[in-house]
Amino acid sequence: MELETRPETFSIFRTQENDPACQSEQHLGQYYTVPPSHFHTVFPHGLPPRYQQQVKTFNEGCVMVRQPALELISHLKRADYSKPTLRYLLYGVKGSGKTMSLCHTVHYCSTQGWLVLHIPDAHLWVKNCKELLPSSYHASRFDQPIQASNWLRNFRTTNEHFLSKIKLRQRYVWTKRESTEEGRPLGELVDMGVSRVKSSSDVVGAVLKELRLQAGGTEGGFRLAVAVDGVNGLWGRTTLKKEDKSPVAPEELTLVHNLRKMINNDWCGGAVIATLSQTGSLYAPSSAYLPQELLGEEGFDSMDPFVPVPVSLYSEKEFESCYLYYLDRHWLQHSHSQTEEGKKEMIFLSNRNPSVLERLCAFL
Amino acid sequence: MATRTLKTSILSLGRIHCHIYGVNVRNPLNRATYATALSINTSSQNKGFPDRGNRGPFNRRSRREAGDPRTDRMPVEQDWTAVYPTATPFRQGSVPLPVRMGFPVKKGVPPEKKGNLELIKIPNFLHLTPLAIKKHCEALKPFCTEWPSALDTGAKCDEHFPVKVESKDYVSAGTSLRNPSARIVHLRVSFCVNYDYAMYLLTVLYHESWKMEAWESEKTVADMEEYSWEDSPSQKNIMSTLVRMQVEGEGEAVREELLGRPEVQEYRDSVTRLKNEGESESSMHQYRDAVKKLLNL
Repeated sequence: MELETRPETFSIFRTQENDPACQSEQHLGQYYTVPPSHFHTVFPHGLPPRYQQQVKTFNEGCVMVRQPALELISHLKRADYSKPTLRYLLYGVKGSGKTMSLCHTVHYCSTQGWLVLHIPDAHLWVKNCKELLPSSYHASRFDQPIQASNWLRNFRTTNEHFLSKIKLRQRYVWTKRESTEEGRPLGELVDMGVSRVKSSSDVVGAVLKELRLQAGGTEGGFRLAVAVDGVNGLWGRTTLKKEDKSPVAPEELTLVHNLRKMINNDWCGGAVIATLSQTGSLYAPSSAYLPQELLGEEGFDSMDPFVPVPVSLYSEKEFESCYLYYLDRHWLQHSHSQTEEGKKEMIFLSNRNPSVLERLCAFL
Repeated sequence: MATRTLKTSILSLGRIHCHIYGVNVRNPLNRATYATALSINTSSQNKGFPDRGNRGPFNRRSRREAGDPRTDRMPVEQDWTAVYPTATPFRQGSVPLPVRMGFPVKKGVPPEKKGNLELIKIPNFLHLTPLAIKKHCEALKPFCTEWPSALDTGAKCDEHFPVKVESKDYVSAGTSLRNPSARIVHLRVSFCVNYDYAMYLLTVLYHESWKMEAWESEKTVADMEEYSWEDSPSQKNIMSTLVRMQVEGEGEAVREELLGRPEVQEYRDSVTRLKNEGESESSMHQYRDAVKKLLNL
């Protein structure tokens, strides 16, 4: 993917401040460019698919600086990392920009040198799984080798530089002949998980456990950011069935079980940033967007206490910004869309919903 | 389905009535003709059936021929209650209306009533015309007594009959005959009557409600009518979080002190509101502010 460097032009909807740590209220509504080198490493699997297509089309990845992401970043800057982990939950109507705000925050964490654990969509782990193996580690649980190995591969891409620095604190035995000794680098564990697909789910569990123990440690400590998109998929129902056609509960899946342990606040030295997602969720009505509706009783009690961060639709300024950006990229080809009347029509049709606006502009 | 029925009915009728269709019997008695001429299938289907003559299992010739439909012989001033005295399925030969029902094929119209299964399936109220209802009332009158003349005002009715039961019946179009709103029955009691008895009843109920039955101790969290924050997972979570956030030691005293703090009270109120009243933007904001204050953000 070729990404050109931008010429230095002054525009009302762009900002030159490409470092999320330095962005502030004055940059609200403006687009900042994600440096091309970061795209492959920070976001191998995290961006929404339509946004990825947009990046390819425009030859650059620009993210709008918006209030929810700024709020999250300011909390992350000021939080005390010796206390139990804080959980932040982004919620809002469909298409309001939760995943993009999450990606913005993940970019910040990455530039600050945190270790980022990004689960692009927790719903992918509770549905459409072709292979379900009974777990070797725990009799009543099920492994998902394909999903686990995919995730490990992307995790390796994102956090290359950490893999050799973190050493394992305990010995892991995989089979009679294979084991990973204490003190070996984490990279070895991850490589093993990617190559030996059968035990990849247990490797994921081991990786999460090690990271949980070591985050915020005094010697060689690092900060851990757990970013989960569609966290409401972890509680609720799955569409997977066992061999006797009885439904599988989420806690019977190794991956879900281990991820739930990460979301608890019994560890310190990092933050959990999650978004709710109705798209892709199972058995949830399409109008549901508030936390309790999507998380359910069990999910809410597990996440409690968390800081809910509402993500709203575009404000007037943000809409202007988005409109000017599309004009600048020559995305709006229709002559009527460049007039005031056309703009009013677009406001009316999309109700300033970011994803609806993006789909609408794709036709123009 | 209706079209297939129509086709088969034309196929079956075709051989019997081919001699009728050949001759124009549209208007034998100069009655008003309804627009039944348009049909969605051409009537050339009878050619498909091979003529078996008088042999074969479907020996049609000796069957009695069906006569004209009753609609042809209906005068305008007829007694409709004689045609449909009770609830019966739709009979296309007895209903002189050019009703059409069903999904039209492309460039077509809904199928006519002849052989139309859709019309037969649905419930009809042809037996309940206003005239029919009048007749029912007239028939019931000998069995009724007069309204008591002393009960001429509403107040007097309330005085003698304090307990009123109201039920509602509905007539609506839908997937089922039954309307769920009809299941609601209102029972009204006015309290000004027999005050002593009412007080006695209330005292008895009050004391009865205090009695604990053995099975009540099995009440689980799911049975609770309202959410109570004490002993809930929410309380446990926040307590453990706060205890870990404090550097000082553990113990009952620390817990009590934490519970007494105003931020914790606020948090408790917001969670209770969320769970009891349901979610909304405002309750979410309240929860947000409470959590932020509590966790020193």
